[in-house]
Amino acid sequence: MPDTILVIVEQREGKLNRVSWESLTAGQALAAEMGWTLEAAVVGSGVTNFASEIAAKKVVKVYAVDSPQLEPYTPDAFAAGLKQFIMAKQPKLVLMPHTYQVRDFVPKLATAMGRTAISDCIGYKKEGEKLLFTRQMFQGKLAADVSFTCDAPWFVTFQNGAFRGDKVEAGAAAAPIETVKVDIANNVIRNKPQEVFKEAKQAVDLTQAEIIVSVGRGIKEQKNIELAKQLAEALGGELAASRPICDSGWLPMDRQIGSSGQTVAPKLYLALGISGAIQHIVGMKGARTIIAINKDSEAPIFEIADYAVVGNLFDIVPPLIEEVKKAKTGA
Amino acid sequence: MLIFRKPLEGIDRPQMPADVVIVGGGPAGMACALRLSQLIDQHNAQHSDSQLSKENIYVLEKAREIGQHCLSGALLDPRSMRELLPGFEKEAPLDAEVTKEAVYFLTEKSKLKFPITPPPLRDHGNYVISLNRFVKWLGSKVEETGITIFTGFAGSELLFDGDRVTGVRTDDKGVDKQNQPKSNFEPGYDLQAKVVILAEGTRGSLTKQLIAKFDLTKGCNPQTYGQGIKELWEVPSGRIAPGEVIYTMGWPLTTKEYGGAWIYGGKDNIVSLGFVTGLDYPDPRLDPQRVLQDFKQHSFVAKLLEGGKMIRYGAKALPYGGWWAIPPVAGNGWMILGDSAGFLNAQRLKGIHLAIKSGMLAAETAFEALKKGDSSAATLGQFQEKVESSWIKDELWKVRNFHQGFEHGFWAGMFHAGLQQFTGGRGLRSRYSGKAGYEHMKKLAELPADGGNEAHLLGPAKGDGRLTFDKLTDLYHSGTKHEEDQPAHLVIHDTDVCNNRCIKEFGNPCQNFCPANVYEMVEDTSQPNGKHISLNPSNCVHCKTCDIADPYQIITWVPPEGGGGPNYDGM
Repeated sequence: MPDTILVIVEQREGKLNRVSWESLTAGQALAAEMGWTLEAAVVGSGVTNFASEIAAKKVVKVYAVDSPQLEPYTPDAFAAGLKQFIMAKQPKLVLMPHTYQVRDFVPKLATAMGRTAISDCIGYKKEGEKLLFTRQMFQGKLAADVSFTCDAPWFVTFQNGAFRGDKVEAGAAAAPIETVKVDIANNVIRNKPQEVFKEAKQAVDLTQAEIIVSVGRGIKEQKNIELAKQLAEALGGELAASRPICDSGWLPMDRQIGSSGQTVAPKLYLALGISGAIQHIVGMKGARTIIAINKDSEAPIFEIADYAVVGNLFDIVPPLIEEVKKAKTGA
Repeated sequence: MLIFRKPLEGIDRPQMPADVVIVGGGPAGMACALRLSQLIDQHNAQHSDSQLSKENIYVLEKAREIGQHCLSGALLDPRSMRELLPGFEKEAPLDAEVTKEAVYFLTEKSKLKFPITPPPLRDHGNYVISLNRFVKWLGSKVEETGITIFTGFAGSELLFDGDRVTGVRTDDKGVDKQNQPKSNFEPGYDLQAKVVILAEGTRGSLTKQLIAKFDLTKGCNPQTYGQGIKELWEVPSGRIAPGEVIYTMGWPLTTKEYGGAWIYGGKDNIVSLGFVTGLDYPDPRLDPQRVLQDFKQHSFVAKLLEGGKMIRYGAKALPYGGWWAIPPVAGNGWMILGDSAGFLNAQRLKGIHLAIKSGMLAAETAFEALKKGDSSAATLGQFQEKVESSWIKDELWKVRNFHQGFEHGFWAGMFHAGLQQFTGGRGLRSRYSGKAGYEHMKKLAELPADGGNEAHLLGPAKGDGRLTFDKLTDLYHSGTKHEEDQPAHLVIHDTDVCNNRCIKEFGNPCQNFCPANVYEMVEDTSQPNGKHISLNPSNCVHCKTCDIADPYQIITWVPPEGGGGPNYDGM
């Protein structure tokens, strides 16, 4: 009997991960070159509908590895379920896309089986009878060809884009589907998935702001940031800062303006206690109107400011907030 | 709370075998790689049965691109390049051959031309170059040989096995400010190398580890250093001819500081000018970046630059302790090259040709080691012998006491230099002793509060935005960039010293000698002295001055995440 290549197709929350087609393309090419048999598996609970989608491709067989314990995804259940399945089938090679989910469970699975995983490969080579997998090293400056010295099954994950998912071949007829029930004891699963969430908000995009209130070292203490925030809110603008402020952790780094932060060109830029080093200026000099408040009359920010206010920002900002509020309600 | 960079512990690191690892892709490292490739090619052409491979020879370079951390005046003495690549003049990027030179002694209001150019400063036959462009070109020659240059990778630690250096660990990538791995974390590699060659430049961080581990400077004079601040200017045509070289001594320095300026005319109306200040000055309030700004205000210089534009800025420390300060340069598994070893002629202010020569000699030694399969001190020790029987030693021996003669001021220095000129470098005795530069720094209490004669050198430059610049503006023109979310790579071993002792004793000179505003004392009412040390590591131009000049010697410069640093285009 020829050796088998097993491609594990990823599904998550009812969606098939398209990058799996890339692994299937790789599997098809490898199967042709090595003369091995290509099979695929999809893992979860009630996943036969995915299995039939895969069965339309050129594969010999598709397995739906099934257990109620496999939903929702946990690395413990996946590693345990796949171990059972792979032990029974004994494929030579197990291929997967290098996704977050795969990265999560594959080290555990391979270790549990006493095998090695070659991860994040960008290709393969056949050298004589030897199968080599190519990995990037030194941030892509060097490519290393790696081979397995352990017994099969061999685990390989492929980098996104290493193969073309749209080149996956369709089969002449639908491949047979077999549902394989796996038993996963309750005590195996030590993970308790909570509700899935997306990171609340993308980093603030200051480049879209029309009004920016920006604070520099003149704000003196972290608690005084609140004052600038009130002004920004009153004006309906965004809060930003020069580097020392973000560097001290008083505001997150995504609010930093300048050569090492964002470059902005709002309609109004209000600089509070910013001296105006060139590193800051290059990030905001495109603003249509610049108002600078600084107690040092020689601060370089005044060279580019349209309105220069020499004075203590703690004297100027509180009444300014009041006036802005008044003007707004009056309007 | 400052968190400092150090390689993460308890993680699995990829291991990679190597024949030779060269740390640092400057003139020394590149010349070494190129010479090694030449020797291997020659060998392979003659010995079809015992081929040597270049595949496992690597150069680590912390800059994102080759040459981007290379800064020098620069004048190239072509001697070693002619040995490495005969006829190199035809293809190397050379700005101009030196055609005219002059040396001046400046006072605040006037200048005095030396009637004849002192022999060590005669530069006919040398070339004005941009070291950045020159090294880029040298690097492209290395890449053609098939030797791999890992740009963006720094050496973060040496690997040891007993008394043997067995490899280099590269920098961890993707570590946040708290020294925790980020989602893009990539551990540093352990390059297990038969031969490790340190070509890191002045005050190399791995070289420092090696010297400390084996106490290599025992019996040596302490290394002494200068800090060179450079600006590149574009001036209206006709101000200075390509290949014209001017040196000055004197103003703005007083007789208590060592140093001087250079002005080189390059191609296309580009002028390289800079000031080297010895890092053995007495007043902690002195600011070398300001010294250059003051120098430019001398009417002689101001006229030359008038109507021009400053286009680039940078800083570099240079070793000028001379022959007696050079540690052993080879041992079990290791060799040290160029500025890392201290191969610099302080009298001529030239080191590039010596760096290249040292790289070539190290390559010959490494080649022997590969052939024999032995890289112990028995084989690599040949490098030491090669240096001592080469013209490197001839050249450095003649000036072995040069800088020490100046430790007691300008006039004593001129006396000793004159005497040494006629005694083959000997002077009053064969070996002048020396003192580390930072030991010359005086406490504020011993100095006049108003600065006395040095008053004009103290404190930060203000800058007029045309001829002179404040430090941050200058810094902007260095093109320096680092990943911001990473631990501080300026490792201060005890910040209490900064906040409680130094602030009173020396007034935190780090704020003055750092040419990049990395060090800052910020107001903090919770501190007994009202301030605490704060760092801006992403400003760092990698000059290592802080590691050298700090009077308490509590700062260790380690490489930040590879790829960060200045961008010395055309410098």
